[in-house]
Amino acid sequence: MSKGFWCYSESGAIAAELASAASSLAGAVPGDAVILDLDGSGALGAAKRLVLKASYPAGASPEAVAESIFRAAKQLSPAAILVGATRNGREVAARLAVKMKAGLLAEASALALDGGRLVAERSAYAGKVTARVSSPLPCVCTVKAGSFPKGSARPAETQELDVGDVPSKVKTLSSAKKEVGTVDLKAAKVIVSAGRGVKRKEDLPMLAELAKDMKGALGCSRPLSSDLGWLPEEHHIGLTGVNVKPELYLALGISGQLQHVAGMKDSRVVAAVNTDKDAPIFQAADYGIVGDLYQLVPALRKALAARR
Amino acid sequence: MKIAVCVKHAVDESELKIDPSGKPLLEGAASKMGTFDKNAVEEALRVKASAGGEVVAVTVGRADARKSLKEALAMGADRGVHVLAELGALDPPKTAGLLAAALAKTGPYDIVLCSEGSSDTYTGLVPPMVAERLGVPYVGYARKLELAGRALKAERSLEESLESVESPLPAVVSVVSEINEPRYPTLIQIMQASKKPVEELRPEQLAAGDAAPPTAVLSMAAQPQNRKHVMIEGTPDEAASKLLDALVKEGVLQP
Repeated sequence: MSKGFWCYSESGAIAAELASAASSLAGAVPGDAVILDLDGSGALGAAKRLVLKASYPAGASPEAVAESIFRAAKQLSPAAILVGATRNGREVAARLAVKMKAGLLAEASALALDGGRLVAERSAYAGKVTARVSSPLPCVCTVKAGSFPKGSARPAETQELDVGDVPSKVKTLSSAKKEVGTVDLKAAKVIVSAGRGVKRKEDLPMLAELAKDMKGALGCSRPLSSDLGWLPEEHHIGLTGVNVKPELYLALGISGQLQHVAGMKDSRVVAAVNTDKDAPIFQAADYGIVGDLYQLVPALRKALAARR
Repeated sequence: MKIAVCVKHAVDESELKIDPSGKPLLEGAASKMGTFDKNAVEEALRVKASAGGEVVAVTVGRADARKSLKEALAMGADRGVHVLAELGALDPPKTAGLLAAALAKTGPYDIVLCSEGSSDTYTGLVPPMVAERLGVPYVGYARKLELAGRALKAERSLEESLESVESPLPAVVSVVSEINEPRYPTLIQIMQASKKPVEELRPEQLAAGDAAPPTAVLSMAAQPQNRKHVMIEGTPDEAASKLLDALVKEGVLQP
């Protein structure tokens, strides 16, 4: 009989989310939520903590982390391993599933157990569709960040396991923090977002000022960051960028390609300004204005100032 | 240098229709080469330009996946490999198993390039699964790539950091779309693409290894669109004022 729901993420905050997801599953079958600690950081969130003692001569790359967890899983047979769906986490999960010859579910935003299978809900086709997929246990499942509340349990029980020397072929030479904008988009209550309707880079400060007037942050669609390089990649909202859910999302000159909408569709209220009345962004908006952002932005700033 | 690039014939999510009961009509849905796969093809062509060799485009899918392969050939890949297989939706292990087996059979390759994820399902698990099955390093989410002899150097773009890494070859590398600007094939290249060789493989010809238990798709439903769709009219000043009123009323903007 396989035991326990293991949780791993290199991000402590995501690991705590996984722990609360696992704790809710653990109630359904015998076994416990177990949070994995690979770096001695004292991970929190679940009733049990499993500390994997290893030495990583070439660094704790995702490849090495997957091997460590695999060695532990061979001995302790967890029912499922939940992994935060980060860029490194996906490699850990993919390698683990192949090593364990286990099923693999991805990008779960909700989880349940059904007769010995893990059932995950996920978004697909750029957010157009919600799919429910399942795999027999044991399995590995990547979980989308921000889907579960953070578990706060202090582990009452800690187990240590020595997994030995873990090699890695990829060597990290250096690591540098990314240049981040002045405001954290994930935490922003209001986001003003710029799209291809902005004609010149020099016009962006006007939108940034509006964002400031609204006590919000400035985001953008993919062309402005990836193709034109007008804003750092950290401002990019969309499927391959940041996923946000502010109270208010104001899209200015954004056509509303599905890849963009996938990153902002969970916003509470969406307003959009676009010159094209048929722009798909209006389908994703509560309030729409067919108009030129070069007229609407000054008008909005003026109206806001008049109210103060 | 033997270079492989993996492409997916992906559902064109913007054309995906939903039936009245809320089910997506995946059968017969319009498909195209995954948007980000073009960056992988472009990078493969750049590696060839600097290190020489051959670029082989590889896909797994039904007969119509040949279209994406042709697009890669038109961009400049030298030949194609098409694993003719019916893939269930949302089953990365099956795709990765067939892809890895096809790469092993038609390789060995020095470098296998992929995009960070397909534009339709964006799961990002197939490239690292292929790496694990081939027993080679994986360098994910590269935004810069450089080859130096039998090794590669890359800059990886992670959520909050940029990481410089070094890996021996062979390796699987996935690239993010900032890495390059994909070229557009010319009309002549498009015409010549049909003359380039494509090897067709069937799953039974491939030792796909221990198959992982298949993922079952229990249901698919359109995500509800609960937006109000209120269009605000008037001069810019009037519209701005009406919009602010509405937002204050919604409680999302301080009065």
